[in-house]
Amino acid sequence: MAMVPSANLLAPPNVWRRMRHRLAVVRHEPALLIVAILTLFFLYLIVGPVLSILGDAFVVQSGDSARLHQDEGSLTAYYLARVFASKMSSILIWTPLVHTLSIAVATVTLALTLGVTLAWLINRTDVFGRRWFATALVVPFMLPTWTFALAWTTIFKNGTVGGQPGWLQAMGFATPDWLAYGYLPTVFILTLHYTPLVFLIVGNALRRLDVQMEECARILGAGTRTITFSIVLPLVRPALLSAALLIFADCIGEFAVPYLLGLPINYDTLSTGLYRALSSRQNGVAAVLAVAIMTMGVITLLIDIRMMREARRFVTVGGRGAMERRQPLGSMRHLAASLPVLCVLIGVVLPLLTLFLSTVMILPGRFTPDNFTLAYWIGSDLHTIAMRNGILVAPDFWIAAWNTVRIVGIASVISGCLGLLVGYGVLRSPVSLLGNILRQITFLPYLVPGIAFAAAFLSLFAVARGPIPALYGTPFILMLALIAENMPFASRAGIAAMTQLGREPEDAARVAGAGFLTRMRRIIIPIQAAPLATAILLPFISGIKGVSLFVILAVPATDVLTTYSLRLLDYNYDQAANAVVLMIALVAWLGTVLIQRISGAGLSRGLES
Amino acid sequence: MPEISLHNLVKAYGKSAKPAVDGVNLTVADGEFMCLLGPSGCGKTTILRMIAGIEHASGGTIAIDGRPVDCVERGQFVPPEKRHVGLVFQNYALWPHMTVARNVDFGLRLQHVDASEREARCRDVMTKLRIIDYADRYPSQLSGGQQQRVALARMLAVNPGVLLLDEPLSNLDAALRLEMRAELRRLHETFGTTIVFVSHDQWEAMTLADTIAVMEGGHLQQVGTPDEIYARPANRFVAEFIGNPRINMIPSRDRKGQETDTASLGLKLTERLPRDVPIDVCGIRPEDIRLCETPADGALPFTVESIMPTGGSWVIELAHGEDRLFHSTQSRPRVRPKDQIGCLLPDEALHLFDGSGRRMSIPGYGMSAAA
Ligand SMILES: Nc1ncnc2c1ncn2[C@@H]1O[C@H](COP(=O)(O)OP(=O)(O)O)[C@@H](O)[C@H]1O
Ligand SMILES: [Mg+2]
Repeated sequence: MAMVPSANLLAPPNVWRRMRHRLAVVRHEPALLIVAILTLFFLYLIVGPVLSILGDAFVVQSGDSARLHQDEGSLTAYYLARVFASKMSSILIWTPLVHTLSIAVATVTLALTLGVTLAWLINRTDVFGRRWFATALVVPFMLPTWTFALAWTTIFKNGTVGGQPGWLQAMGFATPDWLAYGYLPTVFILTLHYTPLVFLIVGNALRRLDVQMEECARILGAGTRTITFSIVLPLVRPALLSAALLIFADCIGEFAVPYLLGLPINYDTLSTGLYRALSSRQNGVAAVLAVAIMTMGVITLLIDIRMMREARRFVTVGGRGAMERRQPLGSMRHLAASLPVLCVLIGVVLPLLTLFLSTVMILPGRFTPDNFTLAYWIGSDLHTIAMRNGILVAPDFWIAAWNTVRIVGIASVISGCLGLLVGYGVLRSPVSLLGNILRQITFLPYLVPGIAFAAAFLSLFAVARGPIPALYGTPFILMLALIAENMPFASRAGIAAMTQLGREPEDAARVAGAGFLTRMRRIIIPIQAAPLATAILLPFISGIKGVSLFVILAVPATDVLTTYSLRLLDYNYDQAANAVVLMIALVAWLGTVLIQRISGAGLSRGLES
Repeated sequence: MPEISLHNLVKAYGKSAKPAVDGVNLTVADGEFMCLLGPSGCGKTTILRMIAGIEHASGGTIAIDGRPVDCVERGQFVPPEKRHVGLVFQNYALWPHMTVARNVDFGLRLQHVDASEREARCRDVMTKLRIIDYADRYPSQLSGGQQQRVALARMLAVNPGVLLLDEPLSNLDAALRLEMRAELRRLHETFGTTIVFVSHDQWEAMTLADTIAVMEGGHLQQVGTPDEIYARPANRFVAEFIGNPRINMIPSRDRKGQETDTASLGLKLTERLPRDVPIDVCGIRPEDIRLCETPADGALPFTVESIMPTGGSWVIELAHGEDRLFHSTQSRPRVRPKDQIGCLLPDEALHLFDGSGRRMSIPGYGMSAAA
């Protein structure tokens, strides 16, 4: 005991000793290193592009210095003024903004109405064939939006733009522009696409609702109408709001549909406006537009987060194993099924059938036996100059397919693995602040619509900066953009999986003597195999369907299926283009089914996250 | 077999919070079978995790076999994978993706033990723990008791010098508990391993351990053999925590610090005690109270309030004015509720505690039957 005071006298100050001990602990805790590296990486990959495009909006862009009498790179408010307060403003931002908002509002309203009705029919009544509909009604959400847009043009296209006419036009019915292009078809298609989302989210909320609450109200003498409006609706309101804001944000960023249906009649939305600005090399204007889109996305999602926080107060009402109790519709059972039948017909059967028929018909709209051929799939020596073979035997198709699998595949694998690492780091980091920062950064792309993010990426990676060479034109820029774009989902999946796993299996392995790599290889990754597979496949599917990133970042050398089909469309090779789109839809659908098999989770849960 | 020593061990989660472990000094001798006993939340698991190294100390030193493995003062930290201790988690933490056999041989594989020996040792351990029949099953296909034996086998296979067990019996049903208890004792005797286990259950601690360390609120309260702890509790907390039914506490003062009123039991008792020591409470174990049907010399008058059979023994609630005492007996009581009765509270059975709750050693007192 006599030694203790002297040891204390000799010892350096307390703080220093603590630091040293802390270091000794952290040295054996790679989580901190992982978090630090990942944070830097994503700062560069996610925050970097956003800051870069933000900067572009206020800095003279190359090519503009002569007109602005300012050096390239100096500060300017010119772009801001041009977009918001010049005689071009109406064309550049106000009209597209009005278009975007009116599309979004109409889509949200229609999708909510239809989706809630369907959710109620399928979950709360004994409508005929409800089990089957529960699956079939979700399919439109798995198909890319532009599948519908192409099907629509196949039927309604008129002479306003060149190329093969639509079926109706070919049969002699002149379709007016307002029917063929612009607002109406865009809203119609987006409604078709997003109704399943409402159906899923609200359906889940309805299923979690304890029937006893309704029964209680009934015992107290409430009628069906009172119960619906004062019990059920208020309780599913958080789900409704959440679905509404999600769809709203998605509609603001939607690019493919307005691109296909709006551009022919110069019906611009913010995203197509941004695309136009980029392709006409007005980088400064594009930057301002991209920032505007981002701001709208951020505001929407902030509202969402705010509302969800408030809603959490009564989210826990779910009764466990609540009895299923459905309203009997009696003789209306079959009649009521006509609504879901109609939805499946218009949302799945009609577009896919139309697209398929269009690929086996030589002339559009003529349903005679001699007009049918499989040549566009497997033929050779076609009369189309640049496309001599059916797509299944065309080398270009397979090159594009291989590119897709390669680029999207690699990006998905990387983002899935990074997601798991983020989850590991966030949960294990001894410095929780750093973990939280990482979590927020990886969530950021969720707030930024794809087209704006693509523009931001272009702004950062188009030219060489420091040791990083110019990546535009290489597959790497696509991969990096895809990875960044996928991170919100991948990191959430990773965090969720690691939270569920808990520390103990890994701690047990540590005690048994396993070092970090062994633990990763033998414990963490094998246990997380299923979530990891999902976290790879889901980004893969959304990557394959994606348009906005590729349309801006891809070049002919890095042709993927989506850009390939758009190019075929430009050449008016509608049959081949539609065939490619059908293949994409097929892959997307198969992938979703595969995820369902692997994760064993309900489709609804997978898609909802 | 190594000895474990904790010196001024402190663990604080977060800066402002009260430390979960606060200045614990404890030595577990080589080959000892020790129990950390305390109510839930007192920091037992935290100590175990720090010994294993999956948690690091905020202050103080942990040494295993004389070698500091975690020393804040000297900035030393040996990670768990290098400490060679075995830890059986409270909820087992079996690896769900490996079969029982793979769970058990994981540690040996890490040590690159060659296949034939590995096989032999695993078979041996699994046979001893009677899980050999389930070798090819996955953890989710086993019952709780079987899972626990796998968790134990997983650690025993590598034959660690120190085995740490977190609440080893608490998740088991009564029959399994007895079986597992025998198993653990047998293991300790065969392997001679130093074992530290954690429990909130005094029965578990009393029946299993050689030494018990009682904890509360992150502080160590007393270390001793089960008998010592029962017979000479170091403070009020230990006295009240150990023993079932609980020890009777008779305050000699009321809450305001004044001598209690004249009719009370406390005063009558205090009159017999040495005047010059500041006694705050007297404790007497239920079984140390003696009943006498006719008021004998020195006996106090009580009324029988109720009689509760507890299976083979009886607890009798006795009233003296406002005061209540519990008496327990192994023989069928001959009294009935409402009976007037005399009670003897022998001096040597009285445990005396001062104002801060510490035990007062006064010759002639607190040497109850068990001592
Ligand atoms: N990881 C942790 N973070 C913060 N507080 C913790 C953590 N683990 C334990 N504690 C706190 O430390 C105290 C002791 O916990 P623990 O050692 O698990 O108790 P016991 O095992 O005795 O029931 C408790 O108050 C608990 O809330
Ligand atoms: Mg515990």
